[in-house]
Amino acid sequence: MTAAESDAIRVIEAEAIPARFARGWHCLGPAEKFSDGRPHTVNAFGQKLVVFRGANGNLNVLDAYCRHMGGDLSQGTVKGDEIACPFHDWRWGGDGRCKKIPYSRRVPLRARTAAWPTLLQDELLFVWNDPEGNPPPADVTIPRIEGVTSDEWTDWLWTETVVHTNCREVIDNVVDMAHFFYIHHSFPTYFKNIFEGHTATQIMKGKTRPDIARPDAEGNTMLGNTSVATYHGPAFMVDELTYHYQGFDLESVLINSHYPIDEHSFSLHSGIIVRRSEQLKGPAAEVTARKLSGFIQRGFEQDIAVWRTKTRIDNPLLCEEDGPVYQLRRWYEQFYTDAAEVTPEMTGRFEYEIDTTRPVEAWTRETEENLARRAAEGQPA
Amino acid sequence: MTVRQDDRLTDGMPMRPVRCRRCDGLVLARKSSWEQTSIQWTEEAMAACPSLADDRHATCPALLSAIREAVLNGELKIVDA
Repeated sequence: MTAAESDAIRVIEAEAIPARFARGWHCLGPAEKFSDGRPHTVNAFGQKLVVFRGANGNLNVLDAYCRHMGGDLSQGTVKGDEIACPFHDWRWGGDGRCKKIPYSRRVPLRARTAAWPTLLQDELLFVWNDPEGNPPPADVTIPRIEGVTSDEWTDWLWTETVVHTNCREVIDNVVDMAHFFYIHHSFPTYFKNIFEGHTATQIMKGKTRPDIARPDAEGNTMLGNTSVATYHGPAFMVDELTYHYQGFDLESVLINSHYPIDEHSFSLHSGIIVRRSEQLKGPAAEVTARKLSGFIQRGFEQDIAVWRTKTRIDNPLLCEEDGPVYQLRRWYEQFYTDAAEVTPEMTGRFEYEIDTTRPVEAWTRETEENLARRAAEGQPA
Repeated sequence: MTVRQDDRLTDGMPMRPVRCRRCDGLVLARKSSWEQTSIQWTEEAMAACPSLADDRHATCPALLSAIREAVLNGELKIVDA
C-alpha cells in the first residue's frame, strides 16, 4: 500500500442487493403450526406461498396465486388432499397440478403451478428453494437432532420475528466474535470458524462476565459456555450449546434459522431444546428452556437494534482480531450462484482461528472497570 | 454479489503454501500472530489428511506443527513479528 492509499478516505461500498434468493433448505417452523387442515399464508422468497396439510397427511407448499384468475389460495379451503381456490373452487394438489374444476368437464392444459419440495424432520417443516428449479441433491441435507424425539429432552420452544433488513446481516454473525462482547454481553475466550461444502461452523468458548453475572434462582452461577454452531446451507443453524455451572453442565440445542421474505426483510426463528438432568428434573427443564429462549430472544433484539440503523457494507475494514468475513461471504455466495457455476473456492475447506489474547486482555480490563465504577457509586457488584 | 478480497491479505501478509510433513498435503496458510492461524485447504490435501476423517471440527495437529515449523524456518512470516 502506498502512502497516498493509506491516507485516502475509506469509502463504504455496497452493490445492489440481489433480487435472487438462496438455494437451499429453509425452515418454516414447527410443522404442527401448519397441520390444522387450514391453508397458511407464508411470504417467502419474494412471493406469497400457501402451506397446507392434505387429508393424506402430506404438508404441501405451493405458490399462493391460483393460475386461473389469480385468487389467493391461502384464503381458500383444504378439500381432501387439495387446496381449493376461494374464487372459483379450482382444486390444486401438492404436486402443483390442478386436479379438478368442479364446474368444468376437464382441466385445461398447462394447469400446473409452482410447488416447493418439502421435508418434515424433527417436527419441523423445511422447504427447498432453488431459483433454477432443480430438486435437492441427495447430499444436501439437514442433520437429525436426536434430542427432539427423546424423552430426555424438552420439546421445541420456538419463536419467530420479522426483521427489516437483508438476511446477510444475520449470516455475518457467524464470524463476528467481538460483537458477542459489545452487543450480547458475553465474553468469548476462544473462537474458530470452519467453512466446508455447504456448511459453515463457528466454535466459541466463553466465560461469564463478572460485570453481568447474576446467580440464578437456585443460586447456581454460570461459569461459561461452549458452543459449536453449524449452518447447514444458507439459513439453518444448529448450535450445540453447553452452559457450564459449578459442578455440572447444562446441555441445549439451539436453532437459529431464517427464511427471506423479500430482499429487504426476513423471518428470524429460534428454537431450543434442553436436556433433562439431575439438576433439571421434571418441570425445571421446561423452566430453564423458557429462560434460555428468553435469552436468545433478547439476543435477537440486540442484533435487530444494530441492524435497524447500520448500513450494508460489502467492503468491511477488518483488524487482525476480526474473523474471516470475506471468506464467509465467499462461502455464502455459493447459494446465490447457479449450481454449475459454484467454484471450488466457495466450497473448499477454510479454517480460521482468532488469537484472543488481546481481546481477552481488553475485555478483562473493561469488565473490571465496570465493577470498580459500580463499587465507587455504591451499587452492588 | 461479487466475491471480494480480504484487504488483510493484500495490505498485510498473503497466504503462503505449506506442505504437511505427514501426508504431504499442500495448503495455503497465514498467521497474523503465533496464536492466529488461517488455513485454505485444497481438494488433494483434504483427501490425503488422515486426521480430517476423524474430526472435521478439529485442525489437523500434524498440519498445525508443519505451519509452526514453517514459521520457525522463516518460510512463513508472522504479520505481527
